[in-house]
Amino acid sequence: MKIVASYNVKGGVGKTTAAVNLAYLSAQHGSRTLIWDLDPQGAATYLFRVKPRVKGGSARLVRGTRPIDAALKGTDFEGLDLLPADFTYRNMDLDLARTHKSGRQAARALARLLGDLADHYDVVFLDTPPSLSLVSENVLNAADVVLVPIIPTVLALRTYDQLAEFVETFDQSRPRLHAFFSMADRRKALHREIIATLPQQRSGISPTAIPALSLIEQMAVQRAPLPSYAPRSPAALAYHSLWTELTDLLGA
Amino acid sequence: MLSALEPITGRGYELSPGVRRVRTVTYLDTVDWRLRDKGMLLSHERAAGPGTLTLTADGNSFSTTLTAQQQWPARVEQLPDGDVRSAAGAAMWVRAVGPILRARTVTREVAVLNEDGKTVLRIDWAESTGTEPARTTPLVRVSLRPVLGYQRDAKRAEKALLAAEEFVPADDTLYDELMHAAGVAAEEAAAPGITPDMPADVAVATALRGFGDAILANVNGVLDDIDTEFLHDLRVAVRRTRSLLKLVGDVLPPRLTARYTPGFKWLGDITTPTRDLDVYLLELDTLASGLIAGEPADLDPFAEHLEAEREKARRALARSLRSQRFSRLLDGWRAALTEIIEADRPADEEQADEQPDAQSLAADRIRRMTKKLIRKAKVITPDSPAEAVHDLRKRCKELRYLLEFVKPMSEPAAHRAVIKDLKKLQDILGSFQDGEVQSEALRVFAERMQEAGKPPAATLLAMGELSAGFVTMQRQARHDLTGALEQFLGPDTRERIKALLP
Repeated sequence: MKIVASYNVKGGVGKTTAAVNLAYLSAQHGSRTLIWDLDPQGAATYLFRVKPRVKGGSARLVRGTRPIDAALKGTDFEGLDLLPADFTYRNMDLDLARTHKSGRQAARALARLLGDLADHYDVVFLDTPPSLSLVSENVLNAADVVLVPIIPTVLALRTYDQLAEFVETFDQSRPRLHAFFSMADRRKALHREIIATLPQQRSGISPTAIPALSLIEQMAVQRAPLPSYAPRSPAALAYHSLWTELTDLLGA
Repeated sequence: MLSALEPITGRGYELSPGVRRVRTVTYLDTVDWRLRDKGMLLSHERAAGPGTLTLTADGNSFSTTLTAQQQWPARVEQLPDGDVRSAAGAAMWVRAVGPILRARTVTREVAVLNEDGKTVLRIDWAESTGTEPARTTPLVRVSLRPVLGYQRDAKRAEKALLAAEEFVPADDTLYDELMHAAGVAAEEAAAPGITPDMPADVAVATALRGFGDAILANVNGVLDDIDTEFLHDLRVAVRRTRSLLKLVGDVLPPRLTARYTPGFKWLGDITTPTRDLDVYLLELDTLASGLIAGEPADLDPFAEHLEAEREKARRALARSLRSQRFSRLLDGWRAALTEIIEADRPADEEQADEQPDAQSLAADRIRRMTKKLIRKAKVITPDSPAEAVHDLRKRCKELRYLLEFVKPMSEPAAHRAVIKDLKKLQDILGSFQDGEVQSEALRVFAERMQEAGKPPAATLLAMGELSAGFVTMQRQARHDLTGALEQFLGPDTRERIKALLP
């Protein structure tokens, strides 16, 4: 089972849309796929038309008193299941810290929980809340690949560098970071320039850019992954490219 | 269509029907229902293109997508490589699968949506109409597939459908329902009904007519060369006929037995060459893999020779089975037997008493046959000539056929016990016979191959190794025979045979 996180400290950069669309493509390609919506706002859960509710909430899930598979929901798409968000996830940091005495154990608790699902899924996507917290540390520890959506601006790049430095401090296995441009606006010169030059100058940055299109925003209206209702759109094709890159990374 | 599902909408759900799909489904099995006996279901589904083969067994489902048109019937080696072939192979054995029935199925997946428009349940709607061998009325089935985490919704929908009495839980499979509707029975032809108090001639004629039916039931399978077992079953029916004629045929009009006995000998004889070659070809892979000095591939020219010989023999057999001699033999024979079975019986008791009943006849003949067999078995020693052992084998077979005839009049447990005793002895005698016949036949094959051309030396050497193997098998059988005879001649067997008789 491979674990892919969609993560950025900043919010509103396209983490959820990336996680939802890539999870959909993963299932379409025949992988048994799960997406865990860790964000208490529950955007991914909403997009799949599932109620943002997990019986027992974050505390029982983290403590392991309620099995993780009891909370799973099938989506409308074959081979793709969802572990929904719950508003109590806002306390997940506290729950993790309370449940585990050692900081090291607390930072790896989600990875252990996911281990129970290893026989059921080939790929798990983690849609994460925008923060640098114990939950995000758990995510970075559990993930094989961390997809980092970045808006092509200088400040966004700086945030990515900070994340890379943080991951460098991990003493055991480190996830592979894979940044891609999100919400790219071709009308802006700076966006064009960064997209054209940066992937050649820096490793770990994908040449794929997800355009800022209203079609992607339509996901919240359609309440479905973009490739399911606009499979030939440029945005869907961009997600396809990203999926291809991701399969290479996961296979490596 | 959807109206039948309407009760679900009353519970606050919405129905979203998917695309209507039409396909033909051919259900397959061997003529002796081997897949069904193992709890397997094989079907060939076609919408466009060559279609898909699906096998379900023990709750598992295997599929193979066909890339070329598939002809039916088909033996295992004629199925495409893949999961279905691997899973069905052992159950099919050497038999071919062919269509049992065909149906046209219209399917539609209906999604049941909750108030958020989320699919909480999928309903597979299927309307199947049997088209062959008989047209049936459309049979509608729905299967509910709950979505993970929404089992409660599925229960609610199921309850609504059952409450509206539109559907009832299915207590058998669609295949079974279609078979029932089309009048197809999943069983081999029933044994003819013989009762103990039946006049002996009627009982014998009834059994013989059953064998005649079995011969005819297998003819087309032999002519079309569907699989080797059609010929085997035909031969068994011929042997049973001949044995019964010999052992109890005297209760029939003498003119009738005199007229038809040579005909069945002819029928047995014309089927022998093809069957002998079948046996070789069926065993050749196993024999080849057992070679120690030679390589399996050394036997390839031998296999080709066998194939060519078999084709010649099969054509000759087909000509005979299509001949007037064959049809006159079977038609006349069955008509004559029917006449005996349906003849008016004399009302006069005295006259009726002249003819024994089936049970007395069976008791008398089993007693005589057992006595004869034991007499022959007693004189067999490890040094007895092969002919004496072969003769014992033939008598054992005759007793076996006689026991089959008396089966409907016997107590089942006692009958099983006697058959078990006899079978043990027959197996050893069979190995003895096979060992000799096979090594003998190899010599003949080698000579014929020499006459036809120059077979590779490696092939002849490998055949020599096989021949040595058969001789060893025969020696082993001779060794085992002493013990088996001791057991068969012991008091237990006699007691069991006694228990069988009225």
